[in-house]
Amino acid sequence: MTDRGAAAGERRRSRTVNAALLLPASAWFFFLLIVPLIILLVFSVGARAPEGGYTPALQLDNYLELPTRAAAFINTLWMATAGTILCLLVGYPLAYYLATRAGTKRTLLLILVVVPFWTSFLIRTYAWMSILGNNGIPAIVEALGFGHVTLINTPAAVMIGIVYNYLPLMVFPLYVSLERLDKRLLEASKDLGAGRIGTFRQVTLPLSAVGLLSGAILVFIPLMGEYVIPALLGGGKVFFVGNALVDLFLQSRNWPFGSAASIGLIVVILLAVSLYLWLGSRGRVEREVSLL
Amino acid sequence: MTLGTGRPDRGPAVDRAGRWVDGAFRLEAVLIYLFLYVPILLVVIFSFNAGERTGELRGLSMRWYEYAIGDAFAMGALRNSIGVALWTSLLATTFGTLAALALQRVPRVVRAVFDVLIYIAIIIPGIVIGISTLIFFVNLFGFVNPWLAYVWSVGGLGEPPVVQKGLHTVIAAHVLFTMAIVMVLVRARLSGMDRSLTEASFDLFATPLRTFFQVTLPQLAPAIIAGALLAFTFSFDDFIIANFTAGPGQPTLPMYIFNSIRRGITPEVNAIAAMVLMVTVTSLVIVALIYRRQARQGGAFGASEGAPILEGDVA
Amino acid sequence: MDRNEFWDLYHDWQHGRITRRHFMQVTGLGVAAAVVAACAPSVGGSPSAARTAGQTAEPSAAAPSASSATVDVNADWTPPEGVDFGDTLVVTTWPNYHDQKTLDRFKELTGVTTQLNIKGSNEEMLAELLIGNTGWDVLVPTNYTFETYGSKGILEPLDLTKIPRFDAARYDTRLLSPAFYPAGSTTQYGFNKDWGTTGFTVNTKNVATPPTTWKEFFQRIQEDVTGKAMIHDYQLTSIGSALVALGYSFNSVAEAELAEAEKLLTAVKPHLLAITSDYQPNMRSGDAWMTMTWTNDGVQLHRDIPEIEYVIAKDGGEIWSDFFGVVADAPHREAAYAFLDFMATPMVAAEDALFHGAPLIDEAAIALLPPAATGNKISYPDAASLTKLEFGTAELLTSQARADLWARVKSS
Repeated sequence: MTDRGAAAGERRRSRTVNAALLLPASAWFFFLLIVPLIILLVFSVGARAPEGGYTPALQLDNYLELPTRAAAFINTLWMATAGTILCLLVGYPLAYYLATRAGTKRTLLLILVVVPFWTSFLIRTYAWMSILGNNGIPAIVEALGFGHVTLINTPAAVMIGIVYNYLPLMVFPLYVSLERLDKRLLEASKDLGAGRIGTFRQVTLPLSAVGLLSGAILVFIPLMGEYVIPALLGGGKVFFVGNALVDLFLQSRNWPFGSAASIGLIVVILLAVSLYLWLGSRGRVEREVSLL
Repeated sequence: MTLGTGRPDRGPAVDRAGRWVDGAFRLEAVLIYLFLYVPILLVVIFSFNAGERTGELRGLSMRWYEYAIGDAFAMGALRNSIGVALWTSLLATTFGTLAALALQRVPRVVRAVFDVLIYIAIIIPGIVIGISTLIFFVNLFGFVNPWLAYVWSVGGLGEPPVVQKGLHTVIAAHVLFTMAIVMVLVRARLSGMDRSLTEASFDLFATPLRTFFQVTLPQLAPAIIAGALLAFTFSFDDFIIANFTAGPGQPTLPMYIFNSIRRGITPEVNAIAAMVLMVTVTSLVIVALIYRRQARQGGAFGASEGAPILEGDVA
Repeated sequence: MDRNEFWDLYHDWQHGRITRRHFMQVTGLGVAAAVVAACAPSVGGSPSAARTAGQTAEPSAAAPSASSATVDVNADWTPPEGVDFGDTLVVTTWPNYHDQKTLDRFKELTGVTTQLNIKGSNEEMLAELLIGNTGWDVLVPTNYTFETYGSKGILEPLDLTKIPRFDAARYDTRLLSPAFYPAGSTTQYGFNKDWGTTGFTVNTKNVATPPTTWKEFFQRIQEDVTGKAMIHDYQLTSIGSALVALGYSFNSVAEAELAEAEKLLTAVKPHLLAITSDYQPNMRSGDAWMTMTWTNDGVQLHRDIPEIEYVIAKDGGEIWSDFFGVVADAPHREAAYAFLDFMATPMVAAEDALFHGAPLIDEAAIALLPPAATGNKISYPDAASLTKLEFGTAELLTSQARADLWARVKSS
């Protein structure tokens, strides 16, 4: 049944089959990921044509100039970190609450977390523009006699928009992690004399670390590339790297510098993710956790 | 395994000091749900605004719904979004699943290469994808169009076709990201799958194709469906990539909305959003009812009951 | 140019080394004066009360050309026979610049649906045009962009046979001249839509005494109007106005002056409500009390909310003219030319102007405007207020220094 010729033919056929199965995906990756990235790389060592755009050149000037725009990078980094931590602080208790509910109620509550995201992301963000604009919350605050407060077009507004839009990405991995927690460990910890806080710090937190890191990464990565929320809720005053990139390509028309900045952004994100993986392996996470 | 004790799912065992903490958690959850839903409610309420602008409520009426349905541009954008999302979902799910299957049986090097590609495709920001894909397409068309013109003129075929940006370029750009996600989901599911079933199927002389359709595919179904849904959602809601890669006359719904926001939004946009929300909530409810009915009738999906299909029991 | 160049030229003129005409042209002053002479009816260029019985405009300097003799200038527009226009037209233009009724009429007459693509600056338009494959048909560029668009082949030279209702005789030569590239040649890339100024609007309900100069504008943003003011997301006007506030030329590219302007803008930025060229929604809702504004928006805002005043700054600023042009390789070329012919019709232009409020240049169109429109001080201001304004210069579109400056200010 398995003579050598048939086996070799079998292998050849299965190789062809494999290649055929992989072909569409490979084509997509090549033409729509690799080639555009190569174009970016080529542009990034080029020069800006006088009226904007690209002229061929071979120079590292654009990369060397990146540190001068470090302000936008650093701004994005700290706001992305702050946003992630905020999502964490808001999302952890919610995830814990959800994980401690009973069966059907829990599923329903989980779905309720997702439903708002069936409206358009832009509409949700626009709703916040109205709420934070002068006819929204500030009007109420002023009516209550607390004086005037400006909320729209501030970093605070952008933060609110971030938490609002990225919360589920944080809540789901946390929930999964907490849900798998064996309550007997908590009981044991209390039996051994640890208080609530102690139990939380020494049992719950470490065991939910996987979910925590997953959620953090799921929020941080897209947040670094965010463009719409700062544009709508920041009024042109809050500038993420995403906004800077759009400006570089669609206003200043400095493609080489924009390309260098894009590659810089990708590198920064890669570094952050590597950090996560290193932290994760340090905690000796045995199970492969998919990125989602 | 839930947070109950060894007993089956009957909710947490409550200890006395915990009641206060539990109350605090409950309060926080309520506040968060309010936080999540108040903007949505505002969107829906203002869609019934009889006035001209979204900011001030001036009585209730359905006029903006009528206007929205009659607005050719808005409805066109909506149709474009749905079309793009459907195609994206279809292509991403198909290509991604096929690739995930193939990746199981290729040499480790190939697998590693694809791991890296998937990785990059997922972490690369939408902005960068949008811009770089745009430049790629424009340059591509710059080569292809003169060539087409040449071929057509040589062949005496009349007006040569001109390739331009359009919905197809949006679909292409969307498929890249969503296909990577489908691959991640399906591969995760594959790695956790029970091999004994496939082996049993082969032992019983089923052909590979038959095994695939009757054993593997049903087991993969949850991951494939989840991937398809995610792909659809992402594509439908995406603004950045569509903004760069779409053609001039064919905006997607998010593009249409963003341009309206720039120019001063009318409650028409609220009406459209409310309609979309209604449709999706209704379909979700229907799906949930069907799922529950099938689960009660013995589980048509065949997946091992109780094991979460995703991290979290949500399709 | 910077002030040294200006004074050099002035001395050249004084000493007869250059003609007065050359001096006026190069410094842009001549054009400002021409605008005043030609278009401000109170100064007596075109008839203000000539609305009666559709009289044609008073004879202009040049003799009417042959084509205008066969086309009745004051008649309504009819589409040319036997041309397939397709069903769409893509027009890339500025905010609040076209009356929807005008576009609907165009559709009635030709079956073409016009799609407006709104941009907030010429840089934004150029950026997409550089990438290519935009699918745009008609463009509405500002006077200083033609050198770039012409030399790069981004706009196509107009086929005037397709625009019979345009007659250069009705337009002031000096205002039309930027559309010719190379300068002084007969290759024409556009014709004027309107002109206007860049000033600022103030809601006098909240700001009792509006500022009168750019210097005061930027100062008060940091004082009593803090958090309620906006500037354009547009390097030309925002940097230019900052330069004027510091006493320099609107068009300066001198390094030292730009550095000072950058400092001013960076200092002002935290006090701003927003940096945007779509400022009408915020002004209308009361979120903003003061904003850098173009004439047409000033007219519209004041019309709907009379407390909002439009101010032309006393220390200088920009005077501009916008044109209609046809994008090279436009997918709907016939429809584009039909649209240009449509908008060149005085009656159509006049009706459109009743909505957008920007002052016109076509003498025949101005003749058709009602006294209420031509008497509107925002649309047709007194000559005196225009003398210090400058037209933008071509190099600003491509100046890397100014583009980088603006990018730095926005990301600060």
